[in-house]
Parts: sequence; structure tokens; C-alpha cells
Amino acid sequence: MILIFLQSSVFSLNTLVTLKVLESNERDTMAISLKLIPHLLAWFGIVLILLRGFAGRRSVVTVASIAGFVIGVTGTCILFRSFPVAIPFVVVKSALGVSFLFLWGASIAAIYRSTGRGITIFQGERRGNFPLGAGIAACMASIVAGAICTCGLPAAGSTLLTLLLLAVAAGALAYALAYSAQALDKLLPNSYTVSLSGMLVAVVALLLCSSSSLLRLDLFSPLSMKVMKGVHDFVHQFMESILIPDHLFIRSYIWKFIGLLFGKEVGFWGGLVIWFIPALLIAMAIGFERLPSVAHLRQGAKRRTVMAAAIRERRCRLVIPLLSVVVFATAAYQSSFPSVEYWDPKPLPITADQSGEITIPKKGEIDLEDGKLHKYLFKQGGREVRFFVLMTPAGQLTVDLDACAICKPDGYGQAEGSVICYYCKTLIPLDTVGKPGGCNPVPVAFSVKGENVVIDGITLVNSWSTTVQATARVKEGGK
Amino acid sequence: MSENIIETNGLTRNYGDICALKPLDLQVPEGEWLSVMGHSGSGKSTLMNLVGGLDRPSAGSLRVGGKDLLALTEDGLARFRRESVGIIFQQHHMVPYLTAVENVMMAQYFHSVPDEAEARSALERVGLGHRLKNRPGELSGGEQQRVCIARAIINSPKLLLGDEPTGNLDHKSTIMVMELLKELRAEERFTVIMVTHNQEVAAWGDRTIYLDDGVLVREERTAG
Repeated sequence: MILIFLQSSVFSLNTLVTLKVLESNERDTMAISLKLIPHLLAWFGIVLILLRGFAGRRSVVTVASIAGFVIGVTGTCILFRSFPVAIPFVVVKSALGVSFLFLWGASIAAIYRSTGRGITIFQGERRGNFPLGAGIAACMASIVAGAICTCGLPAAGSTLLTLLLLAVAAGALAYALAYSAQALDKLLPNSYTVSLSGMLVAVVALLLCSSSSLLRLDLFSPLSMKVMKGVHDFVHQFMESILIPDHLFIRSYIWKFIGLLFGKEVGFWGGLVIWFIPALLIAMAIGFERLPSVAHLRQGAKRRTVMAAAIRERRCRLVIPLLSVVVFATAAYQSSFPSVEYWDPKPLPITADQSGEITIPKKGEIDLEDGKLHKYLFKQGGREVRFFVLMTPAGQLTVDLDACAICKPDGYGQAEGSVICYYCKTLIPLDTVGKPGGCNPVPVAFSVKGENVVIDGITLVNSWSTTVQATARVKEGGK
Repeated sequence: MSENIIETNGLTRNYGDICALKPLDLQVPEGEWLSVMGHSGSGKSTLMNLVGGLDRPSAGSLRVGGKDLLALTEDGLARFRRESVGIIFQQHHMVPYLTAVENVMMAQYFHSVPDEAEARSALERVGLGHRLKNRPGELSGGEQQRVCIARAIINSPKLLLGDEPTGNLDHKSTIMVMELLKELRAEERFTVIMVTHNQEVAAWGDRTIYLDDGVLVREERTAG
């Protein structure tokens, strides 16, 4: 119940805060501070659950949580500071991904341990409730939480002094929150206990929930993307392995069916299956578990009491895997619909002059250098081409097709610090827009003549025809 | 000497201005068959309800099976009732659209989990093996009361309470029910407290107490 309450609080607060930030439309300090609230609340929940789970180790958990949070905040800041602009996010994201994978695996193992009778998975499991075990768990979860919180901050080039100040501020904040959690924990009745498995699931769920609300730390979309690509590659590899060049022999009506496999829905549901199948299998294993033998008990009422206790215990054990399924599903669902609204302007119709050149003034009715995505629609010879002009944060103008070479051309929207492919939901950092490859928008050659951006109309149409229209046919099941 | 299963000290129950049970001190040893007699309104059913955990006293102390019933919460009291007490009423209070065996299984359901084989065997013990699938309306008064006995003992209670269980029965059925209770008590070793107006029924007990206007006025041991 506590977990569900925390989950819903985090979600609703996150929505409110995001709306607030969007309303203000400015990255001022207040807006950023507000945006941190859901993450801090999630961390508060983690500390509370750990305090409850490691009853009797409250001081260790509190100290380790505070220390872990400060390490997470400063560590991520150092990463931001040490690497060039584009790299740190990959490092942070990978580190977080590995930590998540570890925590997720540990929680699944803990669930299994709590359900499989007499099976030991963790060596030295009894040490789990010792100060060292409690401290490590609290520290690890807090490092991840601290890193997630810091990712919400703008990646400013911080000096050593600001870094020090940030560490002190993080320490003070963590101190206040951890001791509030301790105070709340003391108010809760002793009958509310959290098992090791329940604790791990709750912590992972809250971390996942917190990270999924950060646009660039969303972990589920990449998973579904991988599934989608895996299915796509498998079909082609399978064809090639039986020496049938699929593109030549398979007719278009067959591709209409095979093409269904390459849809984003397959990626989404495939991702869900991978994500949830261990918890569901465990739930099923518990559901089909044999009840204890009561044949040796003479008195019927006693037999039934033992049986009822076993059924009740089985139901209680089912709660954790089922709850994990619910919270992971909620986080995955939220992850599929990032809470940030996209800047998605309607494409403006544009024409070429007699020499076939499209000329767009840099400073006219529209300011091309305002850092926003500006979409245009160019029609020639019955063909329609969508493209956009964008000034990257590095100050370079770029002209790109409103489509990539991989996905169906659903186009791009602009989010905070990135553009997003509407088809596969991949986020592309603004700094890499204009570079070819992958899910990046296909760059188009252009020139700047005086105060105008000039694009060759024929090049634009050819680029769209060669890279995009073929992709569109494949993705729609045509060939 | 056996321990007391029921111990009351100054047990009182008031309903507004009416004092249904005046301070009562009573001890019932484990395994005893206690008959409670008295006129209408003398406090017999009130005592029964208090001992069975169906009602709470206004004052005094009440321990049943070592449990202080005043200290129990509503949930605790419900658990006490389903685990420790079996009750047979004069009105049978059976579910009319359920069969005899289903009525017995209902008690199992509220206790722990239903077990049809055990419910059938309980009905066979009370001589109703041939009436398992009959609904209450298809059974005679004596047969219905025997279903109630099977229902009351199915959860192996420590205490069996009977609130005029033979009040609606003819002489032959009364004897049959009493003999059945005596037999079951010998096997299961539960304590019986039975409220009755009938001197002949009271004589089946080990001891009889007499209540008058909420006060214990007399008690006597049954000869033999």
C-alpha cells in the first residue's frame, strides 16, 4: 500500500511539475528545482522502505543513504565536467543501465528465493541484515538516485567551487530528507514490515519510475527498439541463411504480413515480455505450488487450519511478484509516453525559384537561429518532401529531412535538448543533429548566402526519394 | 483437577437502564456439561451471548479458554468464535437454499477452508448420511437440529453452546439429540453449556445453575 501510494504520488507530482515547467517555458532555477521534486520524493520513498526493511539498522541506513546520494550527485557532476558535452550522458546512462540490471536481477532472485523453498541463491544471505549489507544496499540505491537527480540538472560546465557547493547542498538536502524519512518510519505501526524481496522490488520500481520520468534516461524505449530491430534482423538473416534473397522473391502482399513484425507495437510488447517474464514465471510457479501434506493430522479442523495458512501464505507470496509486475508496467507505460511535450510546428509550404533553389531567410518572419525546429513542406512534380532547419546548441545551422533512413517517416519533434523520432521514440541529442547515420535525421546539403539559407530543390527531392520513400514502403509492408 | 475453561468475575450486562445480568461469578471446568435454567428474561441467553463472544459485557471480567474476551478486538473476537466456539440455536439458522452438507461446509469456509469429505463424514456421525443433499425445508425438526450439531462441531470447538436446542423438538427427537450430544462430547471432550427450560434436558448435564432476574440464585450437581 505504501509503495502504491508513493508510486502514484511520484507520478502525479511529476505530471504537475512538468506542466508547471512547460507553462513557465523557461529553465530558471525555480523550474529546475520543481522538476527535481519527483526524483527526491522517489529517493525519500527508497530511504523509507530501506529503513522499514532493515529495522534495527536505522542509523546505518540513514548514514549510507546520505553518503550514497552525495556520491551519486557529485560523481555524475564530475562525469559531466570531465567529458566532452556529448559523451557523459552515454556514460551515465550505461552506468545506470548496468546498476538497474543488477538491481533488477537481484530483486528477481530475491523474489525467487522467497518463493522457492529451501533454495539459497545469495551466498551469505544471512549477512543481508547486518550493518554492512544494509549499508551497501542503501548506499547503492542512493548513488543511483543521486545520479538520476543530477541528470535532471542542466549540464553546465561547473567549476571546482560550484561542484563543492553542490556536494554540500546535496548533503544538506539528503540529511533533511533522510531524517524526515526516519521520523515518518517511527510513526508507522510496527506491523508494517517489508521483506528483503519486497524491499528490492520497491527500490528498483521507484528508481525505474524516477528515471523513466527523465526523458533521456528512459530505459524502456531502447529495450523495445532493440526488440524491434532484433525481429527485423532475424527475418532478414533467416531468409539469407536459407539462401533466399527476400527482397527479390517475396512478393509485396507477403510483405504486408511480414511487415507487421517490424512495427513498433511488436517492439513494445516484446520489450514487455522480456521485462516481465521472470516475475510472471515466478508468480505462476507460486500459483501452481503444491500445498503441504496434512494427512498425518487427525483432527479435521487442524488439517483445514494448516491448509488455510498455506493457501494464505501462498497468496501473500504472490503479492510481491504481482506488485512488481504492476509497478514495472506502470513505469514502462509512463516511459512510452514521456511527460515532456514536444515542439512540433506544422510544416510551412515552400517553393523553389526558377533556378530550382529554395531560399529561406535566416531572420524573417521566422527566426531560424532561435534553436527551435522549423519544418517546411516542399512539393515538386507530385512529390512531397518534409524537411526542417535547426540551429544546434553549438551554433551551427543544419538542414535535414523530417525522416531518417531506418524508420517509417513519421517525422521528428523537439524535446528538451533533443529531437525525438516519432516512430521509434529514439532521442537524438541536438548536438548530433546534422550528422548522418542511424536514427538521425538525414542531413541535406545547403549553403548560406548572405542572410539566407539556400537548398537545391532537386537534391532535396532525390534525397527523399532514395532514402525515405523506400523505407516508408518497407515499414508499411509494401515492397 | 481440570482447569476452568470459563471464569467470570462480576460479569455484568446492562441494556440501557435494564440490567440483564447482575455481577456474576462463575467457573466452569474444562469438559463439564453445564445446564443453565431460569424464567424468560432471567439472563440465560445474555450469559450465553457473552460467553460465546457474541456480545460484550458492561462490566466485570470474562476469560474463556484462557483468553480475556474484553481485551480482544472485533477481529480477535471473530477469530475466537470461529476457532473455539460452536453454537446450536433453537431456531436452526440454516441457509435455506443450501443442502445439509453445504450448510456444514459454510462453517468450514468461515473457519479456514471447506472440505466436503469431512462435512459428509460429520453428517454421517450425526446419522444423516442419507440426507446430505437435502435442503433444510426437506428435513424434519430433529434432523435439522442434527445438521446444526454437525455444523457446530465441525471446527472442533472447545466450547459448545446450546441456546434451547431442543425447544422446538418433540420428546423422541429431544432424546435423540441429547444422546447424540452426549456421545460426541465423550469423543471430542468439549465443554457444553446449555440453556433450557426443560428440567429433564437440564438433567443431562453435570451441573445446573439457576438464574433469576440476572442473578445466580442456585446451583446443583446432577445425581449419578
